[in-house]
Amino acid sequence: MKLRLSTAIAAGKAAYWLSRFRGYQGSSLPGKVARRLYSGTLRDLAKQVRKGIIVISGTNGKTTTSNMVTEVLMDAGYRVIANREGANMIAGVTASFLLNAALRGSINCDYAILEVDEASMPLVMAEVTPVVIVLTNFFRDQLDRYWELDKIIAVIRDAIKKSKESSLILNADDPLVAQFRISTGLRSLFFGLSRQELSTSASSQTRESKFCPVCGTLLTYDYFHYGQLGNYRCPGCSFKRPRPQLESVELTYVPGGTNCRITYGQQAFDLAIPTQGVYNVYNALAAFLTGLHLGINPQSILSSLGRHQSVAGRMELFNYQGKPVYLCLVKNPTGFNQGITTLCAAAKTKDVLIVINDNEADGRDISWLWDVDFETLSADHRPYPCFICSGQRGEEMALRLKYAGIPIDKISVNQDIKAAINTALAGHADSAFLFSSYTALWQVHKLLKQLTAKGDPR
Amino acid sequence: MIRICHMYPDLLNLYGDCGNITAFVKRCQWRSISVSVQEVSLNDRVNLREQDFIFFGGGSDRELKLIAADLTKRKEELIEAINDGLVILAICGGYQLLGHYYLARDGEKIYGLGLMDFYTQAGSRRLVGDVVIEMSIDGLPVKVAGFENHSGYTYLGSCQPLGQVLSGNGNNGKDGLEGACYRNVFCSYLHGPLLPKNARLTDHLIKLAMKKSGDNSQLRPLETELEDQACQVVLDRLGFKKITR
Repeated sequence: MKLRLSTAIAAGKAAYWLSRFRGYQGSSLPGKVARRLYSGTLRDLAKQVRKGIIVISGTNGKTTTSNMVTEVLMDAGYRVIANREGANMIAGVTASFLLNAALRGSINCDYAILEVDEASMPLVMAEVTPVVIVLTNFFRDQLDRYWELDKIIAVIRDAIKKSKESSLILNADDPLVAQFRISTGLRSLFFGLSRQELSTSASSQTRESKFCPVCGTLLTYDYFHYGQLGNYRCPGCSFKRPRPQLESVELTYVPGGTNCRITYGQQAFDLAIPTQGVYNVYNALAAFLTGLHLGINPQSILSSLGRHQSVAGRMELFNYQGKPVYLCLVKNPTGFNQGITTLCAAAKTKDVLIVINDNEADGRDISWLWDVDFETLSADHRPYPCFICSGQRGEEMALRLKYAGIPIDKISVNQDIKAAINTALAGHADSAFLFSSYTALWQVHKLLKQLTAKGDPR
Repeated sequence: MIRICHMYPDLLNLYGDCGNITAFVKRCQWRSISVSVQEVSLNDRVNLREQDFIFFGGGSDRELKLIAADLTKRKEELIEAINDGLVILAICGGYQLLGHYYLARDGEKIYGLGLMDFYTQAGSRRLVGDVVIEMSIDGLPVKVAGFENHSGYTYLGSCQPLGQVLSGNGNNGKDGLEGACYRNVFCSYLHGPLLPKNARLTDHLIKLAMKKSGDNSQLRPLETELEDQACQVVLDRLGFKKITR
């Protein structure tokens, strides 16, 4: 048994170095190779984690939340294994363990933090037993792979229901997530946001189910934060937004960051995170509650989150000759709408570049672009001198903008990504916003790094 | 004025299908044809005989069951309207609803309206990917591109298909047919969404809806450069040269 594990680890590591040598990122190949040689690779390695495994899943915010939790635990002095971005399926999760394993088949770590793709939850849960499962939110995403949202939620529920020892950390504001306490019967803790100045009484962007996940009645809302996230209750049964143990009660946006007042039982904390957007507050709350649940000192968590640097392409800021340039990964309507909200809020004029690919990891079905609220931009398009579209589906993106009501002379398609980026950077606007789908992100990121300096130009 | 009904937008809203309404409305407005769009949901009162164009999108099984029950109450009205020239576009789940029934995996039979002669049954393999079909518009062959994603396999009885599959699966992956057609009712599995990048089809539907509204004037041609380019991306990928022959 031990020998097979050692062989699998050796082969996985060899595959890693070979693929690195040939210039590939090689994030899941080592896992594939090892699993083929010994199917128990992940199970055997995961068992050795001393204090526990934390699984993080949901549609948006997985990577940022995982990074935050990892930073919180490392700063608290623990040895941590985490899977790398883009390696969140079973092979990638296996790879992250084996790359940290000694050839004799042992690993030395206190915690493993695993970002897990929604559709991979059943496979991963069959082989690891987490102490904590964090669910961020559920939105429509890559439907060609994930089918309908209802189905993927049912699959995740069935996968985690059997894990009786796990605690759930759930987003109270998302009915699709909050229902997991009832549907799994597992011990659950909640995080959420109370009513904010920006909360609305109607959500224009709710395309997810507005029906009670328990009894099917139409939910009523006091307010929405975005999408289906808000304060809801079911008129037909007792299902309603659970009272969060950890709640952000006041949000203030400051240049380059967000301050929030947080309550936790009788205690109150002031959290300052150096990233923008309400979705990042949710990510920080999830990480905060996870840390508290694992017994980490709150002051230590606050300082870890306060130092958090955004992941590549999550409204990442670059400086091009004194001009701020933002890079934003777009994967689904909710995420894109959030990006557009930030774009609209930015001062003065801004040039826009959108790069859309339709490879497997982007989602081969790009019809979701038609669910994004680009119409917001056409109501007053004066701040936007030009929209440049690129990527395998740049033409479809351009068409979407035309039908959103953007004047056609402001829309162009350039299939040469480098040239497209250069045009966006060289534009006369006061800032530039670059939106990219997943498989184009690294290329755009790399080019941007060559052409700009990192950080705030002011 | 063209009166448009978007049927059950709160329930049938998968895969960006609302882009079909956007495309239809914009191409009317760009020609200064006035339109009204009414959203109709369960139990809403609406006189379907007075409408010119109605649209059904795709949805999941749970939603389709709710809608089948609601639509049954409107069946007579719908039949009259269709005989009177009402234009309907129904995609995926909406398409399946207009046939005899949908036989689910677990053996449950969800009855449709039976307006058209076809039935659907859940297949073992989900049919997913880019599709190109060829259909006839005003007697001319036109290629139409989209993206399919369905596990229901549809088999046509006496009704006509929307077009022939050139690449992809279509209704069931076997008989080479895609969609269904009856009078001015057009059904398809193609998302993408269907209408924006297939402007000839959109204009065809607009023409028919104008006629239904009592407007017999000519449809003013519009620029379709971006539409054709977006369509051509899919055609190129699957090895087809031109939208029209």
